[in-house]
Amino acid sequence: MAHALNSFHSLGTPLERMHPITKIVAVLALGLSALLWPDFTLGAALVLVLVVVAFLSKLGHPFMKLILGFGVPVAVMLLFIQGGYSSRNVTIIADWGFVRFGLEGIEHAAKLVTTLLVFLGSFYLMNKTTYAGRLVAALTQVGVSSKIGYLILASLNVVPQMQLRLAVIQQAQNARGLDTQGGLVARLKAYIPILGPVVLSSLTDAQERGMTLETRGFGIDGVRRTSYVQVHARRADFVVGCGLLLFLIMVAVLSVMWHCGIIPLPVLIGGSR
Amino acid sequence: MLSVETRNLEYRYGSGHRALKGVNLSLQGNDPVAIIGQNGAGKTTLVKHFNGILRPTSGNVLINGVDVNERSTARWAGTVGYVFQNPDDQLFLETVRKELEFGPLQMGLDERVIADRLERISGLVGLDDKLDVHPFDLTATEKKFCTIGAVLMMEPGIVVFDEPTCGQDMAGNRRLEQIIKTLARQNRLCITISHDMKFVTRNFRRVVVMNQGNVLVDGDVDEVFSQPDVLRRSFVAPPPITKVGRAAGLKETVFTVEGLMDAVKRQKESEV
Amino acid sequence: MALWDHPLAGTDRGFEMSASIAVRNFSFEYQGADARALKNVNFEIMKGDFFCIIGANGAGKSTLCNAFVGLVPHYFSGKIRGDILVEGKSMRQSTVAQLSETIGLVFQNPFNQLSYTAGTVAEELAYSLGNRGIAYEEMERRVQDVARMMRIDDILDRNPAELSGGQVQRVAFGSTFIMQPEILVLDECTTQLDPMGGEEIFDIVRRLNERGVTIVMVDHDMERVAEHADKVMVLDRGKVAALGTPQEVFSAADLDVHGVEAPDFLKITRSLYEAGMSGHKPDVTQSGAIDATREALC
Repeated sequence: MAHALNSFHSLGTPLERMHPITKIVAVLALGLSALLWPDFTLGAALVLVLVVVAFLSKLGHPFMKLILGFGVPVAVMLLFIQGGYSSRNVTIIADWGFVRFGLEGIEHAAKLVTTLLVFLGSFYLMNKTTYAGRLVAALTQVGVSSKIGYLILASLNVVPQMQLRLAVIQQAQNARGLDTQGGLVARLKAYIPILGPVVLSSLTDAQERGMTLETRGFGIDGVRRTSYVQVHARRADFVVGCGLLLFLIMVAVLSVMWHCGIIPLPVLIGGSR
Repeated sequence: MLSVETRNLEYRYGSGHRALKGVNLSLQGNDPVAIIGQNGAGKTTLVKHFNGILRPTSGNVLINGVDVNERSTARWAGTVGYVFQNPDDQLFLETVRKELEFGPLQMGLDERVIADRLERISGLVGLDDKLDVHPFDLTATEKKFCTIGAVLMMEPGIVVFDEPTCGQDMAGNRRLEQIIKTLARQNRLCITISHDMKFVTRNFRRVVVMNQGNVLVDGDVDEVFSQPDVLRRSFVAPPPITKVGRAAGLKETVFTVEGLMDAVKRQKESEV
Repeated sequence: MALWDHPLAGTDRGFEMSASIAVRNFSFEYQGADARALKNVNFEIMKGDFFCIIGANGAGKSTLCNAFVGLVPHYFSGKIRGDILVEGKSMRQSTVAQLSETIGLVFQNPFNQLSYTAGTVAEELAYSLGNRGIAYEEMERRVQDVARMMRIDDILDRNPAELSGGQVQRVAFGSTFIMQPEILVLDECTTQLDPMGGEEIFDIVRRLNERGVTIVMVDHDMERVAEHADKVMVLDRGKVAALGTPQEVFSAADLDVHGVEAPDFLKITRSLYEAGMSGHKPDVTQSGAIDATREALC
């Protein structure tokens, strides 16, 4: 059976209990920090922190799979392109004949990869530990329109809904003598008659959904919406959120100062001003 | 000889739910069979095994003596016709005519044979004047009859209806009765799931009562409906005439007004 | 003194105030259709009535239900004439959301009733309460109440997408009833349920009616209609073919012509009476049919 809403499964970890807004702040603060910092070291450190958080949240295994599965190929690709062909390259550290690797390009690639991984990893953790209903309730609480909230929830639901329909329609067509097994061409051909009912039923579903929502008061104006899903901000959420923002501000200030040459940061490797 | 046989049929859904717990059932001949029972009793899960839409977790299903696992669902289509509960899942072509012709064309039948069947079956399902209409423009009940027609066009020996009475009015019910009678006359085995006890008692001699993944009773309609506690256990309410007869102290189990009148007369005579 | 209490106030006005739904010269033709779905329909449904609408498929029953809640013409466009007043509010001049404060509709297909934005049954039930800004404590109380009533308290944490048809029907019903509407419109809303499940939901409907909720029900189960309706209306090809008490409507000789079958109870009592086997007059109720059969057995 397909899952509704997102891929959330409760594991009862502290990260799950964290306020969704705090988690959004975390994704932005960590990602931006990695981006602003002059070199890749902060990003790399943050990836390590995320790995630890993932293991604490019982998501270590899938998290590592994501980081390695996405991180390694992208890193190799970027290292090759940026290292070999970046216009920043001045210091050549290796020469394979057809390509010469420059230190600056490699550093730049490393920063890109770590920043991407921080954004991706933190977003993954947020998604895996936040029930979509709770996220939307939290967003509505801070003043995001209920229509946008609906859009988030409805679009998260479209795919599993379609999958369910597709499975049933496929059964129904098999029962009418349509073989959806066999070679690739046969299977593609067999999918054409299935697509018709799927598209048509999605269209009527959309119309009927609109009607249902209206009869259930979706369009009532001038009412401050409430939610059955309760999201309470605890002190810890507030403290963590503030800490993350402070961290971001500090990183920003230090980076700007370094850029302007006011302070020499103990930048380990390169850093392109 | 047409037959559907299940041996210790078990089915477990991906969620771990055991929907069928060792069903042993043998359906034969052309007497229409009704399957009744509470929501979630396993009725649809059971009949979805008859053309291999679902495959047994354990046990066997034999169709005319052949294990259902030996063929794909599409290959069974010519032998076992299955009409889904929701016609929107089954219809996909631009006209009613194309829907009706689809099955026989897939089977590679001769044009003349198809034309002949089209005439007979479109009349039987009451769509002979709507052959060029887009199925999308049919009413819900017409769509249902369109899917029934599309299945009957393949002339399968065994036909399964899942809740055909759902949402039908008087005319629709009468048409369904006609179709079921025609199938019996043509020596086909018709297996129907229904919640409508009036419809069941009027049209079926054999009734299978399911409860929590098992067959609770399987027998003649009189015999099944004369056991109030079994019915209660399977959450089935007897039809109105049966209820009235029992409440009034009638010893026989009756399903029709004529049946009730005759039973009253007989009981009075025997008491004299 | 309110206007309608004044002895000189127009009788028409006073009459309307006791009608839950007043249908006035109402016609509707769906866009692109070749015939009108409803043709100059006129009738009233009184407050607290148990009002049943019967008729063949395509007679206009669902169109009428959709018009009560404003889906016709706000969602189904077409040519409209006349008006329907729902608790005095014109459905033409109100939005569907505004009407939903007074009138609730349970759809024929329960899967259409779900918002598909909820991850659990409890959230699905509470969805319309949130849209009305009802406080959490009240929401929780109503969710628990309705869940107990509909016997879905054991599936409150389940995902609505994974429920069976019967369960969804209960959730759909509960999600409408939780709004505590003054008028409840039920469009063949028990078709997915087994007979006992249908009876159970129907019992709840009856209890609501006893508490003063106006019930408008479309149903093909003639025995149920005959047994419980205060008023029955037969629709035939968009027109009101008959309107009256079950006894009046079902006794009419031309019932069959309108695509409607008499309830078995009436058939039993009539047959016994005509055969001289019982003196019990033709009757549409179950108790009448039992009495007549008993009498015939004596």
